[in-house]
Amino acid sequence: MAEPAPLIGRPSAPRCQAEVEVTHGVGLHARPSVAFTRLAKSFPCTIEVAVDGSGDWLNGKSIVKIIGARIRRGTRMRIRAEGARAEEAVAALSGLVRRNFDEDRKPGRADGRPA
Amino acid sequence: MVVPREFRGHPASPGRAVGPVHRAGEPPAPSGRAGSAAEARAALKNAVNRAVYELRQLSAGANAESAGILDFQIELLLDGELLAPALARIDRGEGAALAFAAALNDQIEAMASECSESASRCSEAKQDEGAEVDPFALRAVDLMDLQHRVLDALAGRTRADFPAGAVYVGRDMPPSVFLAHDWSSGGAIALGAGSTASHVALLARARGVPMVVGLGALPGETGEALLVDGTQGLACLNPDPRLLPEAGLLPDPHPDATPRAVAPALHAAPGAAPFPAAAGGSETPLLLANLDTLADLDTLDPAEVDGVGLVRTEFVLTSAAEALSEERHLTVYRRLLDALAGKPVTLRMLDLGGDKALAGLNEGDPAGMLGLRGVRFLLAHPDLARIQARALIRAAAHGPVSVLLPMVTLPAELAAMAALFDEETARLARQGIEGRRPPLGIMVEVPAAALTLDLFGQAAFFSVGSNDLMQYLAAAARDNPAVAPLYAGAETAMFRLLDQICTAARVLGRPVSLCGDLAAEPAAAGRLRALGLHGLSVAPRRLPALRAALGTRLGATLPPAAPGAGSPDSAPGQA
Repeated sequence: MAEPAPLIGRPSAPRCQAEVEVTHGVGLHARPSVAFTRLAKSFPCTIEVAVDGSGDWLNGKSIVKIIGARIRRGTRMRIRAEGARAEEAVAALSGLVRRNFDEDRKPGRADGRPA
Repeated sequence: MVVPREFRGHPASPGRAVGPVHRAGEPPAPSGRAGSAAEARAALKNAVNRAVYELRQLSAGANAESAGILDFQIELLLDGELLAPALARIDRGEGAALAFAAALNDQIEAMASECSESASRCSEAKQDEGAEVDPFALRAVDLMDLQHRVLDALAGRTRADFPAGAVYVGRDMPPSVFLAHDWSSGGAIALGAGSTASHVALLARARGVPMVVGLGALPGETGEALLVDGTQGLACLNPDPRLLPEAGLLPDPHPDATPRAVAPALHAAPGAAPFPAAAGGSETPLLLANLDTLADLDTLDPAEVDGVGLVRTEFVLTSAAEALSEERHLTVYRRLLDALAGKPVTLRMLDLGGDKALAGLNEGDPAGMLGLRGVRFLLAHPDLARIQARALIRAAAHGPVSVLLPMVTLPAELAAMAALFDEETARLARQGIEGRRPPLGIMVEVPAAALTLDLFGQAAFFSVGSNDLMQYLAAAARDNPAVAPLYAGAETAMFRLLDQICTAARVLGRPVSLCGDLAAEPAAAGRLRALGLHGLSVAPRRLPALRAALGTRLGATLPPAAPGAGSPDSAPGQA
């Protein structure tokens, strides 16, 4: 699959963006990445992520892209969404990062939603 | 009271055994046949779905920590980004398993180098967290794990084993089924078609599994008792128990007996001595072993041989997942080297194509005997060749390894593979991984190569594969009973050509050995010896008979210090 076409930027669709700091112990390694992408995939809108002011927007639903970005603790993470429920998606994903991916809440679902 | 019924066929592997019949189903039509990209895409997607299903089952029953790891693998498999490079390779014409394995190997390699580049950042993270390892480096292991799972799923459809101790009854038997089966509790093989010269017959003889071929009608239904007499070429349904000294396995009274029907002409005139020992024979050839599985090591006393003349790696590595794993190759090669304790080991690169298939990598296709086989297949799939080359180079650092290329036709093929070995040797050196470029030799089994051996000066040694050379000389398939007399009758042509091969090799100063069934013919030993062959390589069980025929004691001709075994430019003493 080629790089996702730049879907974000069409004038009519709802858009939303937020910035959040990664405070989780290690960063987005395996388990937090699973939680992030699973939650992202539960929304119909396009979701992209960029780190530390980089202009590279990565597909937020791809665990290969997310873990490949090596998002460590202290990273400023920008999340943007476009399409249906964009605002809700950005709020949910930012919340997940702020809550340290609910890792201290056990046993929980990997995507952080209540079991 | 059941009445015994006898079926007559051809003896393919000596010995007698009785057991319940296992009727093999007819082999399913190969679904992933080297065909359309669409089929390969579908096969890969099915395998991925199956792998995801298996992982979900595992995850459901796992504790939270294990489930986390499994969930990670599931997410990776569900990510289109992971499959994209594999699908692109399929669109360029690669088979599903090779495309997937090669694409993942690229990603695994990229990760390994990324991690070493960002080593400083890794160590910062370690200090911050007091962590032992870089958590982001775990991904390579996960990728390898799921790579294996998907490759197994791709191969899974052909893995149908049968009960231990049973007699396999079918039209023919794929070598992979033979290799996947545990023969330690006995059992036997009775085939309606098949051939005494097929790969599976060769495996059965090496393993001591009684086998009869060419029975025509298939005897028995699953569960009925069947006696297989691989020495006489008989199968007997519901045998009279009084004829059986003991129920169960009947040990072959002559375990080292000549395989009778390998080349029927050799036995056509008992007492006529088809190969009178020629006078003027030169030195006694080295006694070498052929190995097809790691289990063969159990039947081999390394002290009894001068080395291993042929390891058929396509049999030792029994699945696409194994064949595509550099580490698995290396593990197997090191075990072989350790077992031989310093004696030379000749490893033949994967000889796939023709009747030898590795499910998920290629499909068996009898018409492919003249197609993309051996080194042709490897050069057409350089990713696979590089995986094996790296493992061979790394193994050569541990012991005296030399490498045989199968089915070479032209010097250009040898040159291309030599260049590939040079590149991988240099790459491993850059990565700081221990390795040594092993000497490369060629199998002499294509008549065009056999007739132009003087052009193969780049080869460090030659090994004649008599089974294939004979079938190509006679244009008679070795597994077709209808042309078996032609195959066997090509012996005269075979010996004339062998003479020419040995002369050409002598001029080049390269050793020649012989590793087909002909080498295991004690009747032929004198004639082979007269040719000045450097070595004869046979299955471990055939060694005592061959030694007796040669009238030699082990080590009589071993070069004093195995000159050249340590140098990549010359062949070790065994060829």
